Amino acid sequence: MAVEVREHEQHAAPPPPPPPRGLRYLTGAGWLRAAWLMPLAFGLATLLVIGARAALGYDPLWELPVLIAAWTVLVPLAFLAGIGGFDYWAYWISGRPSRPEDHSGHGARSWKDYFRVNTDHKVIGVQYLVTTIFFFVAAGLMAMFMRAELARPGMQFVDTNTFNGLFSVHASLMIFLFIIPAFAGLGNYVIPLMIGAPDMAFPRLNALSFWLLPIAGLMMMSSYLIPDGGAFAAGWTNYVPLAVVQPDGNLFFQMGVQWAGASSIMTALNFLVTIITMRAPGMSFWRMPLLVWANFATSTLVVVATPFIAGSQFFILFDRVLHTNFFDPSQGGDVIAYQHIFWFYSHPAVYIMMLPGFGIASEVISVFARKPIFGYRLMALSLMAILILGFSVWAHHMFVSGMAPWLRIPMMLTTLVIAVPTGIKVFSWLATLWEGRLHFTTPMLFASGFVSMFVIGGLSGIYLGSVPIDIHASDTYFVVAHIHYVLFGGSLFTIFAGIYYWFPKMTGRMYDERLGKIHFWMTFVGFNLTFFPMHWVGLQGMPRRVADYAPEFGTWNMIISIAAFALGASTLVFLYNMLVSWRRGAPAPGNPWRALTLEWQVSSPPPVFNFDEIPQVVGSPYEYGVRGARHAVMGDREVERGRAPEPVEAIHSS
Amino acid sequence: MTLVGLAVGAALAAVALFVPWLPDQGAEQARIVDNVYWFVTIICVAVFAVVAGVSVYAVWKFRAPPGDTDDGSPIHGHTGLEIVWTIIPVILVTAIAVYSGVALAQAEDIDDADKLVVEVSAQQFAWTFTYPDELLEGGRPLTSGELVVPLDQPIEFRITSKDVIHSFWVPEWRMKQDAVQGITTRTVVQPTKLGTFPVICTELCGLGHATMRSQARVLDEAGFRAWVREQRRLAAEGASVQGEGLFVSNCGSCHTLAEAGTDGQTGPDLDTVLPGQDAAAVSESIVEPNAEISEGFQPDVMPQNYGEVFTEQQLEGLVEYLLEATGGGD
Repeated sequence: MAVEVREHEQHAAPPPPPPPRGLRYLTGAGWLRAAWLMPLAFGLATLLVIGARAALGYDPLWELPVLIAAWTVLVPLAFLAGIGGFDYWAYWISGRPSRPEDHSGHGARSWKDYFRVNTDHKVIGVQYLVTTIFFFVAAGLMAMFMRAELARPGMQFVDTNTFNGLFSVHASLMIFLFIIPAFAGLGNYVIPLMIGAPDMAFPRLNALSFWLLPIAGLMMMSSYLIPDGGAFAAGWTNYVPLAVVQPDGNLFFQMGVQWAGASSIMTALNFLVTIITMRAPGMSFWRMPLLVWANFATSTLVVVATPFIAGSQFFILFDRVLHTNFFDPSQGGDVIAYQHIFWFYSHPAVYIMMLPGFGIASEVISVFARKPIFGYRLMALSLMAILILGFSVWAHHMFVSGMAPWLRIPMMLTTLVIAVPTGIKVFSWLATLWEGRLHFTTPMLFASGFVSMFVIGGLSGIYLGSVPIDIHASDTYFVVAHIHYVLFGGSLFTIFAGIYYWFPKMTGRMYDERLGKIHFWMTFVGFNLTFFPMHWVGLQGMPRRVADYAPEFGTWNMIISIAAFALGASTLVFLYNMLVSWRRGAPAPGNPWRALTLEWQVSSPPPVFNFDEIPQVVGSPYEYGVRGARHAVMGDREVERGRAPEPVEAIHSS
Repeated sequence: MTLVGLAVGAALAAVALFVPWLPDQGAEQARIVDNVYWFVTIICVAVFAVVAGVSVYAVWKFRAPPGDTDDGSPIHGHTGLEIVWTIIPVILVTAIAVYSGVALAQAEDIDDADKLVVEVSAQQFAWTFTYPDELLEGGRPLTSGELVVPLDQPIEFRITSKDVIHSFWVPEWRMKQDAVQGITTRTVVQPTKLGTFPVICTELCGLGHATMRSQARVLDEAGFRAWVREQRRLAAEGASVQGEGLFVSNCGSCHTLAEAGTDGQTGPDLDTVLPGQDAAAVSESIVEPNAEISEGFQPDVMPQNYGEVFTEQQLEGLVEYLLEATGGGD
């Protein structure tokens, strides 16, 4: 390994350009330029709105909703221009030399390089993950406040408006700023490596899509600062008419979703083009690792579905700011139409938040069971089946909404049929364990925890898919239990599995296995104690999204709150492990897990352009236990049964 | 392996059977829904027992010893097995879908000739129930803030909203339906159990969502007739008695008023803020709630459409009642 690393140095990123001097210091891309461009844009937006209103004779001149709409468009654009997100394109458009082979923004030489526009997919992957974990912690703290309020009946700590804001921002951050982009971050780091590519297809677009994220997140969080009404408080579903009559904080959800959605769409396009055009020689679709398949399916979903939520939020914005009447029934608008448009994105979004997790689970389970993934082709095809069926089930969120009654039966059928490809995946993972040699490292614990927890979430989905049961259980705590079994027990467990699994690859250091196991067990137990009782309180009659509830549910809510605090504490173990191991963990070899996929065949962390020689793919990525089988040939080296210098347990005991 | 599966299944079945998962059955619809629920539960317990059984057995049986560097058996798949675990779930979900569809049709099928129609009107944050004209000889339709219905009588609820979306739910009846501005939605219930049950709003509707509750009282035929007569008498008796009914159904879920026995917390406590105010001020506070906001409360929380919701006479009655109840006025 050591020899290899030295070889890479000649391919390392070119030296940084000389530090700018004089006026260039202010006009060069960076935080300083952003710092003066943003107030400028703020002033410009304010002047534009007030000037236009004065010219047209509108009263009052200071109309906050219009100003917020202008600010939330122009200030982020100024930020992006300031840090240099558009520089290359601006050069190209204005006819200045555009340096197509300029790699000065590529790779990280110090921690500072993580805080600028960087075109290296590995740096961007880490940027994504660190940012999303920040929002995960913020949204988790909001959940802690909610559980504190709900521990006892009656109102103790917050008023109902604050409470409604807490669960709305909690869900929005978790969905749009954590789960979806965390998978995009893991994919960003791993996918080009897995398919043997030097980077993503569009590195500059990749950098831009990352920098949209903090904008969306800070926008959603800053809604708390709005005087008169505070944060948006109509739930992450933002149903109309409530969303239209909410105070101005609601605008921050509508605009935040636009920025996060744009980020999502750009990344997804990037993944699609990368996967379709940049696979190493010999890597046919049927030789792609399942995570690559999963990202392919997810990206297709994102590209097709995300414009629908963008549209739904623009309609609300127009109703609020331009006084259009998309959703005002007294002016010919339609309330239910919003839900159809919203769920046409937001149901596929559940799969956007789940399919990459399926991919991660397949990678981890195959490696740590030391076996080929069971039924590889059916696993890949069931991803595609879920992708297609996922577009035909949206109205199962609307069984009691008052939509056309006949729609309920076909939507129930398609909803229940999705259980079939999902079941195929679960049974195939179990069959992969069968007669394996199972190593219960932290990623494997999270991956197997995911399988069982996700099955519970899937089965409660069958209850909710059945119309008669849904009529009773809809909008109760049963639904809260269900979504958390799917999104926490499903998505979050696989995100943890993925972070632990690729931590050595990303940081070049091993994480602490003992702390990882403590983290898993605290999470697993805390998670079940928190969310399983919610099924019961929901069926018994406790509605969701309430700041206060009937006293008879007091005992269980107290138990749920205590368990939730333990669950929250488990995150501290995770953060401590990550931070300390990143600085001081044992150095990681290139392939600590003896895995066959390509990302493990290069050093940890990989060279700047990933592969010194282009790998030639010659077989399946999961041929564990098959004598003489190979996934790829790299130079004179054969990637065969992923030999590691020492067994995995030995590395971990150090 | 079978043993582990059976043990898991038995434990799950015990949890499923011995924990009272569903509230009391208060309607014919509850019986139908619960049958579907238990049908699905049996299937799900069996599926989960298989998954958990295989997992537990695999973890116990196939765990690698420390330092092990061998690989597992290179099994790539098994077409027979894959067909089996595609076909069986197809059969199971088809069974669930067919049974659910039939049950839904049964639950919503009521005798049209014999039904009682109750109009449900939802608004932030109160329910109003209106009974058909024929219950009142010649008078105005009977309205009430509490839902009172006769036992064994098929009832059709026609549900509307005056503002945002609400959802009408009585857990013991298992039926739920959103109230949506601009359209009339419908649900049916045939109560089979006497008693008082909560009416709960389950769709987030704003600041007072958690407090948007009422109650459903199921009486026998004679009791229901007596209640209707009593309502008629009250309506005839005078403005302030009518005022109390209006207060309880429209205002009580947000405002505390000792006289009416309400304890809502969303709006100001009327026992504190009303004394000393005259009729004009109280009337203005109802019709134009934003004109003067009590300290510690926000504008735009109270609906601003009471000027249209109440007739002039109703408003007068309500104001008169409030002044009497808080010892204010002349």
